Amino acid sequence: MNARVLAFIVVTVGVLILSGIAAPNVRAASAPTLSIVSPTPNAVIGNGSPVVVVFAVTNFNLTDPGNGTSSPDSGHVDVFVDGGWTANASVNTIVLALPSGPHTIRLQLVTDNGSALNPNVTASVAVMVTLGPAGGTPGLSIFFPREGALVGTDSTVSFRVTNFVLVAPGGPAGVPNEGHVRVLLDGASYADLTDDAPLHLNLKDGAHTVTLQLVDNAGRPLNPDVSVSLLITVQALVGRVTPFDATPYLALVNILLGLGILAAIYRKLEAK
Amino acid sequence: MRPTKPGAMSPVRARRRSIPPALFAFAILLVVSISSSPVAAVAPSLTIVSPTEGAVIANGTPVLVLFQVSNFAFVQPGRVGQIGSPNEGHANLFLDAQLVRLLTDVEPFSLSLTSGPHTIQIQLVADNGTALNPDVSASVRVVATLGPGGGVPRITILSPTPLESTGHGIYVSYRIENFTLVEPRGQPNAPGEGHVQLLVEGVVVMEVIQYEPVLLVSLPEGDITISARLVNNDNTTLTPDARANVPIHVVASSAVSLPLVSNGGVALLLAFILVVLILRRRKVAARPPNGQGGNP
Repeated sequence: MNARVLAFIVVTVGVLILSGIAAPNVRAASAPTLSIVSPTPNAVIGNGSPVVVVFAVTNFNLTDPGNGTSSPDSGHVDVFVDGGWTANASVNTIVLALPSGPHTIRLQLVTDNGSALNPNVTASVAVMVTLGPAGGTPGLSIFFPREGALVGTDSTVSFRVTNFVLVAPGGPAGVPNEGHVRVLLDGASYADLTDDAPLHLNLKDGAHTVTLQLVDNAGRPLNPDVSVSLLITVQALVGRVTPFDATPYLALVNILLGLGILAAIYRKLEAK
Repeated sequence: MRPTKPGAMSPVRARRRSIPPALFAFAILLVVSISSSPVAAVAPSLTIVSPTEGAVIANGTPVLVLFQVSNFAFVQPGRVGQIGSPNEGHANLFLDAQLVRLLTDVEPFSLSLTSGPHTIQIQLVADNGTALNPDVSASVRVVATLGPGGGVPRITILSPTPLESTGHGIYVSYRIENFTLVEPRGQPNAPGEGHVQLLVEGVVVMEVIQYEPVLLVSLPEGDITISARLVNNDNTTLTPDARANVPIHVVASSAVSLPLVSNGGVALLLAFILVVLILRRRKVAARPPNGQGGNP
């Protein structure tokens, strides 16, 4: 065996030994990972539905909290909503009931005793929860009375709202597809409506413009603006059958009779 | 060359005679091998047992999903040192094509649904999340509603009664059966839910979601018909139509005729006073100038 053959054997054996040492180290060093599969970032969760978070882990055994075996590669997930601890999970699906508004959901892998891994393994996602539908363009229309209608002193305005949920003012601003209806009468604010019950009006005679406008929780008009206007004319006796209204003529007769009485009294006094 | 023993079989004949048993044995081994191959024997399958296709999930309750899996082992994905095998993994649950759950066991689970039609799909996937080959999935379509699951929707007007005389403003009260009133906001139609439309002379004047009486104002005077009907979330009528009609007679209230009556009364009173004054004036004028009356 010459020196070259010996050197080749030594190098080969060395490589094999090194690869054998290195391989287990790679497997042992595989760090746990955590990723949120659903919802997608900035997803809109509509209809007030709970937020369903689906996550995936690798190199980590999910175990029920409190099983007593605490190791760096097993444990559960702590769930934080808007910075506050909310729940823990040992299954890959979490259902969270959240109020309207923007929320940040953060997941963190922890060992059985609740301590964070080293290095820390977290994943987060931002979502928007709304009581309204997740999609669709808000709409508003007045279906009664018709444009230019002649109505009585007491009247109702009936309207329809689509792809938008009416809620009490004061909620978080910027929530899509939820808010209330602002009513303007002749250009001035008249009322805020938080349900779609018909609007009852009691107006003076004459022409009036009723405007309905969708606004968000903060009272700001939507972008683009969603509003509808209606021109109505109010007349007190509309709808009442009055073939001959003698009231003004009787008033004139009353005046004439009064003058006649005064004349008679005057002549009587004059005669004395 | 070695001589052949008397009565002994020649080597060629012996080889020929040993071929059929060998082939037979090979065929048996082949059949056994094929029948015991993993592909033929352990193809995973998945069946959704409940709900059934087209089921109506009533009263806004969550749907309970029950499914069965064969030849497939559910394991927690992402375990330490996990080595995937073809017949193990987990399942993804899709609601209307949206991933909503990751299933790691075959336990029944409940799912909240909004009103309207939905498709529930379960798909078996490998440990790394990829679909099996061939794909193994099952789906079922259901309809969720806030209304009752059965019964014919019906509405009855309780007040006013037919041919009742009323003023220009009246409260209309009604009774609703087998139907749930929900706020219309553009959501899909669902059986047994919607809202109420009130009509005057065939024209829709109000849409309400209340069970309490509704005030109608400025009704036109005379004989009119008031109707109430149940409609879907998109304002279309139900099939069959659920409607109630009531004819009424609207008359002017006393408040309307009061000015006329009062003016007329005042006019009569003034006329009476004037007549009295004129008669007394004539009577005075008819007396003798000495003021002694008719007696000397």
